[in-house]
Amino acid sequence: MSARRRITPLAGAMLLLGLAGPAFSADNRPVKPADVARVAAIIDRHIDKRLKDNAVTPAPIASDAEFLRRTYLSITGRVPRVAEAHEFLNDRSPDKRQKLVKELLETPGYITHYSTFWRGVLMPEVSADLQTRFLVPGFEAWLRDELRKGTAYDDMVKQILTTKIDSGRNMRNIYARLGEANPVAFFQAKQAQPENLAAAVSRMFLGVRIECAQCHDHPSDTWKREQFWSFAAFFAGIQRRGTNVFASVREIPDRREIAIPDTDQVAQAKFLDGKTPQFRFRKPARETLAEWITAKDNPYFAKMAVNRIWHKLFGVGIVEPVDDFTSLNPPSHPELLNELANEFKKHNYDLKFLVRAIAASKAYQRTSRQTHASQSNPQLFARMTVQALTPEQLFDSLATAVGYYQPFQTQNPFVFGRNDSRSEILELFANDSESPAERTATILQALAMMNGRFITEATSVGGSSGRSTPTSRRPRRFGPNGRGSNTLAALLDFPLADTKQRVETLFLATLSRKPTPDESARFVKYVESGGPKQDKDKALADVFWALLNSGEFALNH
Amino acid sequence: MESLSRRDWMKLSAFGAFGCSMSGWMRALAADAAKHPQRKRACILLWMTGGPPQTDTFDLKPGHANGGKFKPIKTAAPGVEISEHLPQLAKQMKHVVPIRSMSTKEGDHSRATFLLRTGYTPQGPVQYPTMGSVLSKELGGRESELPNYVSIAPYRFLSPAAYGPGFLGPKYSPLVVGNNGGVPIVQPGNNAYERALKVQNLDLPDGVDVAEADARLSLLRSLDDEFVSTRPGVTTNSHKAAYQQAVRMMRSKAVKAFQLDGEPAKLRDRYGRNQFGQGCLLARRLVEHGVPFVEISLNGVNGNQSFAWDTHTNNFNSVQKLCEVLDPGWATLLDDLKDRGLLDTTLVVWMGEFGRTPKINRNQGRDHFPAAWSTVLCGGGVKGGRSYGKTSNDGMKVDDKPVSVPDLMATIATAVGIDPKKQNMSNIGRPIRIADPEAKSIKEILA
Repeated sequence: MSARRRITPLAGAMLLLGLAGPAFSADNRPVKPADVARVAAIIDRHIDKRLKDNAVTPAPIASDAEFLRRTYLSITGRVPRVAEAHEFLNDRSPDKRQKLVKELLETPGYITHYSTFWRGVLMPEVSADLQTRFLVPGFEAWLRDELRKGTAYDDMVKQILTTKIDSGRNMRNIYARLGEANPVAFFQAKQAQPENLAAAVSRMFLGVRIECAQCHDHPSDTWKREQFWSFAAFFAGIQRRGTNVFASVREIPDRREIAIPDTDQVAQAKFLDGKTPQFRFRKPARETLAEWITAKDNPYFAKMAVNRIWHKLFGVGIVEPVDDFTSLNPPSHPELLNELANEFKKHNYDLKFLVRAIAASKAYQRTSRQTHASQSNPQLFARMTVQALTPEQLFDSLATAVGYYQPFQTQNPFVFGRNDSRSEILELFANDSESPAERTATILQALAMMNGRFITEATSVGGSSGRSTPTSRRPRRFGPNGRGSNTLAALLDFPLADTKQRVETLFLATLSRKPTPDESARFVKYVESGGPKQDKDKALADVFWALLNSGEFALNH
Repeated sequence: MESLSRRDWMKLSAFGAFGCSMSGWMRALAADAAKHPQRKRACILLWMTGGPPQTDTFDLKPGHANGGKFKPIKTAAPGVEISEHLPQLAKQMKHVVPIRSMSTKEGDHSRATFLLRTGYTPQGPVQYPTMGSVLSKELGGRESELPNYVSIAPYRFLSPAAYGPGFLGPKYSPLVVGNNGGVPIVQPGNNAYERALKVQNLDLPDGVDVAEADARLSLLRSLDDEFVSTRPGVTTNSHKAAYQQAVRMMRSKAVKAFQLDGEPAKLRDRYGRNQFGQGCLLARRLVEHGVPFVEISLNGVNGNQSFAWDTHTNNFNSVQKLCEVLDPGWATLLDDLKDRGLLDTTLVVWMGEFGRTPKINRNQGRDHFPAAWSTVLCGGGVKGGRSYGKTSNDGMKVDDKPVSVPDLMATIATAVGIDPKKQNMSNIGRPIRIADPEAKSIKEILA
């Protein structure tokens, strides 16, 4: 690991000049670091201007440790391991932050975390309708494939919108297809209904919430009921046989008119900008729609995507709520949104490029610490917003920190009702707020972290009475089959570490930073004293417990 | 915040739960609320997710095509008739007032849910708090051991904001049981609800005693004080608040209120052995232990826990099944509260986000209908045994005494002894009243 990361001055210079680096954009042209820096500068120009105009003093740039933790959480969905933290903190190269971002985007962690992220965005039904969870494995498998290939965003959306959904003449059993890697689940989760699809597609890909116009003209916006149904008409050919999620579907691909319920009117397929599409003979309506949505001159498409990634990295969108682009809800930095959208298009909708550019900005790299009273408006980006972790981020971070490895289970769509730690924590920490900056913790979550099985196992030191051999004092093993390893066990088994080093390692494992001198003194003193049990091992476990329960661990800052 | 030194901050937070010693652990502090002479009022909300049909419950239209197939029955209140599928409630009608003239404007689940649960239309940047947060803030004790607001099995998915404390802040969030992240966890075919209705992880883990727990909390406090004070915001504050409340509950003996096991089997049967029925029983126990606001959602029967009352298809079968759960739970709740001398001080509210179309659609269903529908108030603070308002013969419009959501909210607040004009400071720095300034309490039905 460290050999790979250690970089010669020559290689560093080559990187800076854009002469090295295996990263390629979606169409396989290399992304130049200079380009990343240029777009980062655009971001900072707009952000800094608003800060100045509003007489806001921005917070200083975050420490390496804060940047490290935030970036691991945002890109790979977990905190760094102790070794990974050491490596980054000890790295002396000046461009190590950009390098970290670039490298993390090439790890399996990125693929896993972003496939979970996009699945959450595109199939929100999963958190409400237990049945739709059967659809998750196939959809996520497809997302992982595309993310691994580095497929451009516009291409991914096109694939979703035009995927074949007809079950075929012989009504192939839909259950046989569960788990197959394809985006069909997007349609199934929306019950293959034209009106649900219209609402979802316009909101998710265009940031336009037309669903209120389904039953009546939009009360506060300009959308009319007829416009809604004209948009839904692109999906008019889809016919579901039966009412459940798994019902088979037939499609007349070139149908493009739909009856408006409870009226005598029929709506013809029309784009949201009011233009009537140029249909070609026998060309599926969904294909015509996909072309318009992903066209470079679509007024919403690129902006929505940029705002989505921005929101993911900052916890607050330039447009907030993230998918509510309306005249009544203007962006905080309209010019920035425009320019970023243009750069995103110029770079062929390369999601990784977007992440790299944003993460290279000063705005992203500011500390979350409030250093001045003027920093309170999160949409000015004067300091990093503190975000709640998603349930997956929390569990994967816990697993990393305590050294828990969950046995891999293939082909298991029954991701609910399982009696394992992961499903327990995912369910308990599931949250219904779209905004990670607004998610609130609950009493039940606090109780589970303090007294629940997972943390208890991670922080117990076995064999409570008398002097025991090191083996018998190992913390209990995790998992149903006794698989797994354990941070605390490793620390206690390692004879050469002193208390100070042990405390430091626990800080790095959980908070990705070393303790301050003050903290170190306090915690070392506590461990040396043996705590109330007069037992140094138990006292060290107490420190671990406190770190795992801290707000600094539970939040992405 | 910046000007506070860490030491100052620690001193300040010593007033919080982290500062409390855990050694008071087993001290019994709970006194039965009913015995307290100046007992404050309480409110139980029976929330009907999806919007129940007024025409098949409290505002029947016999003889009209819109009436459907359910028949009205006589009740203990002369002249007030309700659906044949609510026979037990009919016997409690002396304590019950159906309001048959609700008239609202939101026909979308999310928006209507927000409106009914907060009293305000969702608009602009104001984060209106849900009714439970508002009322429990007024009725609850500041340092109660049990949370002041308990929410049983809410289905929050389509309108999470309608279930939250909004601008009042995380301190006024409900303790949620029988639910995970918006979706009730009850699955069909077993008694999962028994477990779901308990508060999990309240006991210290095996091998950790009070002294060690105290030591751990004090280590935790030293970490969190610094982090939370330097990073003020929703997420950090709510982390701290959740831990404070959790610790307070762990130390409390009052949590035995959550244990249904001690209740006589016969009584438990009467409530109905299902999530809603046992939820009603739990609500009674919580109110008895001084919790001022409890809500129970009826999201479905058996495993289907979502939009129970959203009967666009097959309305009559579904409503009958739902009533078989609703009727025993609700009627037994009123009876049981009365037996314990709690009914006079406990207001029970029944409502959903809107009513359903009087006209029956092609699928034997009823669709969303906010123009003329029913809600019900019972128990403390209201004059039962009558109905209020009137709809036309076809049920399509309100003929007499229309009631708006602010009117309803003001009536509920008044019934539990709170001035609906009272203001709270909102997130945009503008004070907001408990009920909209134009609201008029329904004097005629207030006791």
